[in-house]
Amino acid sequence: MDDSTKHILQRLMRRIPSQMLQTMLGKWAHLSREDLHSLDFTQPKWVLTEHLLALCEENGLRVKHITELEMIYIIENPNQGMWHGFQLLDAEEDAPSIELTQFKEQFKANLTELISHVSIKIKKHTDEAIWIRVAWGDNFTKPYHLKPTYVVHHLQTPYVFVTGLTSKYKPLLNQTEFCHTGLSSGHKIWLYEGRSPQWTEPHRHQRPSDEAVPTDPNIEKEQAENTENRLQMACEAFGDGTLPQLQKAVYKLETKFRDNSNKTLTGREEPFRGVVEFASTNLLESLRHCVSSGMASTPVTPLLSSITQKGRNYFVITDKGV
Amino acid sequence: MSLLKPFSKLPGLNTANILLVENEEQFQQKLADTVVLQEKTVNVNVRLARSLPLPMENEESRPRIDLVVFIIHLTSELSFQSAETSLKYLDPGYFQGKVCFLVTSARNVSVPPERLVSVRKLAASLHCPLLCAEDQTTEGVTTAAHRLLAILKVAAGLVPMATGLYLSTLTRCTVPSDIDQQNFE
Repeated sequence: MDDSTKHILQRLMRRIPSQMLQTMLGKWAHLSREDLHSLDFTQPKWVLTEHLLALCEENGLRVKHITELEMIYIIENPNQGMWHGFQLLDAEEDAPSIELTQFKEQFKANLTELISHVSIKIKKHTDEAIWIRVAWGDNFTKPYHLKPTYVVHHLQTPYVFVTGLTSKYKPLLNQTEFCHTGLSSGHKIWLYEGRSPQWTEPHRHQRPSDEAVPTDPNIEKEQAENTENRLQMACEAFGDGTLPQLQKAVYKLETKFRDNSNKTLTGREEPFRGVVEFASTNLLESLRHCVSSGMASTPVTPLLSSITQKGRNYFVITDKGV
Repeated sequence: MSLLKPFSKLPGLNTANILLVENEEQFQQKLADTVVLQEKTVNVNVRLARSLPLPMENEESRPRIDLVVFIIHLTSELSFQSAETSLKYLDPGYFQGKVCFLVTSARNVSVPPERLVSVRKLAASLHCPLLCAEDQTTEGVTTAAHRLLAILKVAAGLVPMATGLYLSTLTRCTVPSDIDQQNFE
């Protein structure tokens, strides 16, 4: 094994937390049972890494095996990086569904046509999603494995999630993807930015069931009805129970500027371009709290409720609406 | 206008009623629980509201309110404005010892000092006491509840030889004339 391969393995070992190490190596299945047993997982991690390096050398494992291990780790723990979600448009109704092996070949062929040194790994995880790992290289350099891009495509849906993609390689990925299922990859709308490559279907929520909160009979609320109404509206707009952890909502404005106190900007023909971004550790939870505590006026404005209704967090607002 | 009147109903025997008005509806619940737990000798009823005027539907069942406390969080301008607008719905009879202002986060560095100054001026103009409370710790809540109970018992007439008006002349907020200058010399 050459130095760069060793380096990749060392970096990977540092990344995987000690508790998960044993399961990951078990799933990897490139080490024989005896080898796996010989590893002592109670030792400090650096000792384990040395031992593992030695075993890999013995077995003649190469970069592609190590990237498999990385892929297993990322599939189990997708919440590490920031995922960007896209929706592919122009899906033809009766597009022939294509076999996985054929897709793999096509994808690899397409991408290697564009850029000769890429390392691609495609894996089907359960029945719903295809995971693709791409390590980018140049026309002259070997693929760089320390900053790979992961793409998750949920089958039967037009949704694709990407993480770790720099703008340099974005157009390349755009051109190759998914031309097989009739989904035009040139038209993608950016929907979502968050911690997990998952899709939660947006749905309308019911009124929460009345919980019996034990209150002292001496304490009485004067305006209980108002509070109830607000709570109900908040739950209708944002749902009950735990919400998906969204970090941002971005609204791109393309509306005309309207403010009577500022004469220079009002009354121009072209729209005033601006971007409004709401960022928080848990955006939906805070919006729900704003509505239920009365900070945001009810009924809930469609600007906010459309986050859950339409299931997106990137909107373009024109004068006609969201 | 539906004013809240102090003397339009008969008092209950050994009972005191307090109304906590707070725009954010956070601190009032904790305070209410503590007040009810602390007081053993007198029957204390706590009513919670977000703002005045109070809904007409409760008019019949509502007992006579002995003390109205406005809880103002200095961290929010809206809190102060909501309290100011609610004041209009109180009968003037309340301002003779039956109204109290409770302020939180007075020590907070990020709070603009002008806000506390305006609250003080408001309390002074109405001859009401101004209490500062710490709402983040249990000791703070307990202390605030203790002080409110002391004022409540006087306002409800349960302390002999003391009336709300008498107490308020001693405890009312005053504003020194140079408060706008904020000198530290």
